[in-house]
Amino acid sequence: MYALEVKNLTKRFDGLTAVDNASFAVPENSVFGIIGRNGAGKTTTIRMLLNIYLPDSGEVFFRGNKVGREFRDSVGYLPEERGLYKKMRVWDTLLFFAEIKGKSGKAIQDKAIHYLKKFDLYDRRLSKIEDLSKGNQQKVQFIATILHDPDFLVLDEPFAGLDPINTDLLREIILEKKEEGKVIIFSTHLMDYAEKMVDHLAMIDEGKIILQGALSEIKKQYAQRNVSLTFEGDISFLHNHPIVEKITDFGNSTGIRVKSPGQTQELLKLLVERGITIKQFNANDISLHEIFVELAGNEKGKEVPNA
Amino acid sequence: MLNQKIIALIKREVRERLLSKTFVYTTIALPLLMFLIIGLQAVLFNVDEGNAKNILVVSDKATVTQQLEKDFSSNKNLKSNNFKFSFATIESGKIDSLVNARKKEILKEKLTGIIFIPSNSLKEKKVRYYSKTPNNFKLREKLSKPINKALVDIYFEGKNLSPEDLKFARSGIDFTGMKVSEKTGIQKAGYGNLILAYLFTFLLYLSLLMIGQLTMQSVMEEKNNRIVEVILSSVNAKELMAGKILGSAIIGVAQMAIWLSPVILIITTSLFALPPEIVFEISIGQIVYLLINYFLGLLTFLGLFAMVGSIFENAQDAQSGIWPIMLLILIPFFIAMALMENPNSLIGEISSMAPFFSIIVMPAKMTLVDVPLWKFIVSIVVNILTILAVFPIAGKIYRVGILRTGKKPKWSEVVKWLKYKGI
Repeated sequence: MYALEVKNLTKRFDGLTAVDNASFAVPENSVFGIIGRNGAGKTTTIRMLLNIYLPDSGEVFFRGNKVGREFRDSVGYLPEERGLYKKMRVWDTLLFFAEIKGKSGKAIQDKAIHYLKKFDLYDRRLSKIEDLSKGNQQKVQFIATILHDPDFLVLDEPFAGLDPINTDLLREIILEKKEEGKVIIFSTHLMDYAEKMVDHLAMIDEGKIILQGALSEIKKQYAQRNVSLTFEGDISFLHNHPIVEKITDFGNSTGIRVKSPGQTQELLKLLVERGITIKQFNANDISLHEIFVELAGNEKGKEVPNA
Repeated sequence: MLNQKIIALIKREVRERLLSKTFVYTTIALPLLMFLIIGLQAVLFNVDEGNAKNILVVSDKATVTQQLEKDFSSNKNLKSNNFKFSFATIESGKIDSLVNARKKEILKEKLTGIIFIPSNSLKEKKVRYYSKTPNNFKLREKLSKPINKALVDIYFEGKNLSPEDLKFARSGIDFTGMKVSEKTGIQKAGYGNLILAYLFTFLLYLSLLMIGQLTMQSVMEEKNNRIVEVILSSVNAKELMAGKILGSAIIGVAQMAIWLSPVILIITTSLFALPPEIVFEISIGQIVYLLINYFLGLLTFLGLFAMVGSIFENAQDAQSGIWPIMLLILIPFFIAMALMENPNSLIGEISSMAPFFSIIVMPAKMTLVDVPLWKFIVSIVVNILTILAVFPIAGKIYRVGILRTGKKPKWSEVVKWLKYKGI
């Protein structure tokens, strides 16, 4: 059984279809990425998972049952646009967010102290939120998200606007939660973050799910004709070469797709013969970015996600 | 309906706002400000302009002039009022030329005015006042009695009346208001309840506006800070709205109770002895009714204020949404003020039980006239029904608005929100 199963979700706003018949499944103990451009429908999808929006049609199942209050209480949600009550004290803020999840009492207070100490905020616990630095406000928000010990972490564009320290901190939290057996769902338009962190994913474009499954399976499926190459020299001779279908320059590396799966060795031989200094030759490898571009296209006017 | 989550929301709202400086300041400062304004008004109304008023008293009959001169100079009341009288007798029909001759002085306000008491005023009691500001009611009120007395004296002179007859003829009429009510029988009415009616009307009006605005701001804060999204992952929009409004209403009622505590102390204890003219005739039950009614009214109005707050992102845009609510507060305020003049008006009667209006009108009415119990009950039932009518609409708009950002929506769009399936 899946931890979360999304079936045929659709949501329209004034004639615009934000999410169009989306279906995907989130396995237990996975780090699940919802990946797509800005405006693709990621936030709307997440809001429907959390029952903030009701879908026009379709359903979300939580361990086999329709999502409801029980799911809500077992989720820690970090929205893209984060916010706290400015005039509230750190301590009150944390207890309040736990309380509306139905958790209060000594155990939660102890936990709050634990996290405050861990994140170097214990001395500031009686400060008002508005008196904290932006980075510290973000930390308070992280604690508020996980304080009630949720089974699910739902993070919408979690890395947007974080400084490097908090980025690492959040990554740590995600890995820690994964180790505890929790499910982490996060949306991002940053493909390389996704590639490094997720094990399952759904790719969404213009409201439609264009790809979903385990990252390793997806890569295997798409990578058979792909080579990721780091080199020194001039490879312009490969353009219009009979065995090469496509060359994509990613700056640090170059993605080359050959016409049939058996031709990768031939490509390597070709490069060596031409005296190209090969630093890295990775057959059967493809970046998420390449997959995305292949599926969602790279038309003019469309914002291409960062590689 | 009240679950642990709503209680958590209410607790937060009450704690954050009750302990805030805004609450402490407004609770103390607002009544002070109110009394300052009322006091200032009273002072402005009663204080005479500092300069002495030079008034020329003219008659075309010498006996009249002499009598007036005699009476005015011995009248303490007039002396203490900074009047300076001069007297003159003219030939009949010459008043216009006299006025013309003194015109410049009148226009320069060296001469406040000329009172002309013609000889035929002994038949018709018609007196004329020539001045730059002829409609000075205070002056009329002050002078008509002594002039009347002088005319009566002259009229009856030599008619062999006994001193009692003369005294009777001189005296004016003394109106005493006698209040007829069910409970206490007939007794002399004081000003106490008029004061209470003013007090209730002003406090309810100010408090509704203030708590309403604060609630609206707090909704906008949640919306703009995007806190709302985190909260909505834990509670639904209905619960959030209920928590906010119940919390704010509790604050409003607490504030009202603090403001009314002197009144409650006066009527329940003998700590403060008030002079008989301003005894408060109100029962503790009526105060309790006022608070309950106010609580219900707050729920209604805060529902509307929260709705408007959810639609807009800043206070300026929200103005276009606030004015209809303001009208619903202002109109009953003026009706309540008009009740002081005529407590039994039909409009007052209807609006004391009408939706939105009864919150301000009924407390004023109940202090001025006896209101039977059933009317209190009707007003409460009407208020509960109003809440039931307002909330489904306000709730739907709130639910959509609170998550909406971007440009200011048109009203036609807001109407469409009502049809959205649970956003």
